[in-house]
Amino acid sequence: MTVFGIKHRLAPWLVLLCCLSGMVQADWWWQNGEEEPPQPQVQVAEPFVALRSGPGAMYPVIHTSERGEWLTLHIRKTTWIKVSDDKGREGWVHVNDIQRAKDGRGRLVQLDAPRFDDFKTRRWESGLMMGEFDSTAVNAAYAGYWLTEHISAELWGSQILGNASEIRMFNLNLLHQPFSNWRVSPFFTLGFGHMFIKPKATLAQSEDRDDSTANVGLGLRYYVSDRYFLRMEVKDYKVFTSRESNEEATEWKLGLSVFF
Amino acid sequence: METWTQRFLLNGLIALVTLAASVLAQAEQGDRPLIEPDVRPQQVDEALIDTENFEVGAFFGVIHIEDFESSMVWGARLAYHLNESFFIEGNLGFADAGETSFEKLGGNVQLLSDEDREYTYYDVGFGYNILPGESFFKVPFVDQHYTVNTNFYITAGGGATDFAGDNRFTFVFGGGYQMIINDFLSFHISMREHLYDIDVTGETKTSYDSEVRGSLSVFF
Repeated sequence: MTVFGIKHRLAPWLVLLCCLSGMVQADWWWQNGEEEPPQPQVQVAEPFVALRSGPGAMYPVIHTSERGEWLTLHIRKTTWIKVSDDKGREGWVHVNDIQRAKDGRGRLVQLDAPRFDDFKTRRWESGLMMGEFDSTAVNAAYAGYWLTEHISAELWGSQILGNASEIRMFNLNLLHQPFSNWRVSPFFTLGFGHMFIKPKATLAQSEDRDDSTANVGLGLRYYVSDRYFLRMEVKDYKVFTSRESNEEATEWKLGLSVFF
Repeated sequence: METWTQRFLLNGLIALVTLAASVLAQAEQGDRPLIEPDVRPQQVDEALIDTENFEVGAFFGVIHIEDFESSMVWGARLAYHLNESFFIEGNLGFADAGETSFEKLGGNVQLLSDEDREYTYYDVGFGYNILPGESFFKVPFVDQHYTVNTNFYITAGGGATDFAGDNRFTFVFGGGYQMIINDFLSFHISMREHLYDIDVTGETKTSYDSEVRGSLSVFF
C-alpha cells in the first residue's frame, strides 16, 4: 500500500514529468498494471540479513530479518534487491545475501551475479573508448559478438576530431583472443572499414571525401569485476586514398566495456 | 454373560481406536507451525524481478559559452549503473549561442551565421557516487515527513562540441546531486565544465563553458 501512497503524493511530480517525456507516462501506466505476476519469495537461511535504506553498502541498515523469515523480492538495482517482509517493511539486500537464502522448494536461490567465469562465456559485449588517432583525439564505440570462445566479430563507429578535419569512421573487425581464461587477456584484431572526411570550416574550402580503410591491431582485455572490463588497444590503419599514395595512421585507445 | 464380555471388549476396542486416532491427529497437528506462511512453493524466477540499471532523463539549464553570453541549454542524459558506486553516462545537449561583445559594440557586425551559432554537444564518461545519503523533508502545514535517498556524484568524460562551424573534441567534468524520489524517479541538479580548443576569435584558445542544469530521470 505504501507504493500507492507514495504515488499519490507524487502526483504533481508525475504530471510535470508526463509533460516532459512520453516515456515517463508509459512507465507510470506500466507501474499501475494490475495483471502483474506474483513476486518471487525467498526464505532467509543465514542467521540474519541486513535490510538497508538504499541500494548500496553506504546506506544505513534499517531492519534485519532472521533465519526462517520470508522476503518478497521486488526490483533490482545493480547488485541490490529491494525486498519486503510479511510485515510490509521494505529495504535493500545485497544479491549475495539473497543467494544464501532458499526458495519455496527449499533450494538455494539462483540469481544472476556476473563474475569472472562469465567473462569468457558471455556472447555480447559493448564498450566506449577514447584515445588518439594519428595524434588527434578519437571517440569510439563498439559492439561485439563472440562467435566462439576465441573469435569475436565487432562493429565500430569512431569520430576523429582533428585540427584540420573531422573524420567519421566505421569498421568491421574480427578479433582473436588466444587465452580466453586469463584475467588479462591479449588479443589480435583485423578489420576493414570506411572513413568520411569533412575538412574544418575555418580552413580554405576543400571538398568532403571518403576513403576505404583496413586495420590491424593488438590489445588487452582486463576483467575488473561484475560485468565490466577495461580494454586497451593499438591499431594501425591503412587509408586507401584516391590520390597517388595511400596513407597510414596509428591509433591507440583506452576504454570500458560491459558484457551481457 | 458372554454378550456382556463381548460388548465390554468391543467397546474397549472402539475407545482405544478413537483415542489412538485422536492422539495421532494431535501429533500430526503438533508438527505443523501455529501460523503457516503464505508461500507458494516456486522457484525464484529472475525474470520476475525488474532490473533498473538504466536511467534516462531530460535536462534544462543554463550554459555559459565563452565569448558568446549565457544561453538556455536542454538535452537528454542516459546512464548505465555498473554497480552501487560507478556509472557510465552519455549526454546530448543543445543551445543557441548569444553574441560576442564585439558584435554588440560593432553595430552591424556578424561573427557567425545563425546556423553556426547552434551549439550541440555530446559526451560520454564515468560517474562515481561519492557521497550516498539520505535527505529528510517535512511538508509545510501537513504533519508528514519524507525521506529520500540521495547521491552526490562526480563525472568526467570526453565528447565533441559542434559550434561555430566545427566539431571539436571536448573534455567534460562536473558533479551533481541526485534525489531518488522513489524506485523509478529521480531529480538531479548538476554542474559541468566543457573544455575545447576554439579558433573563432582569431587565435586558438581553450574555451571553458560552464553549465548548470536540473533534470528529471526515470530508472528502467
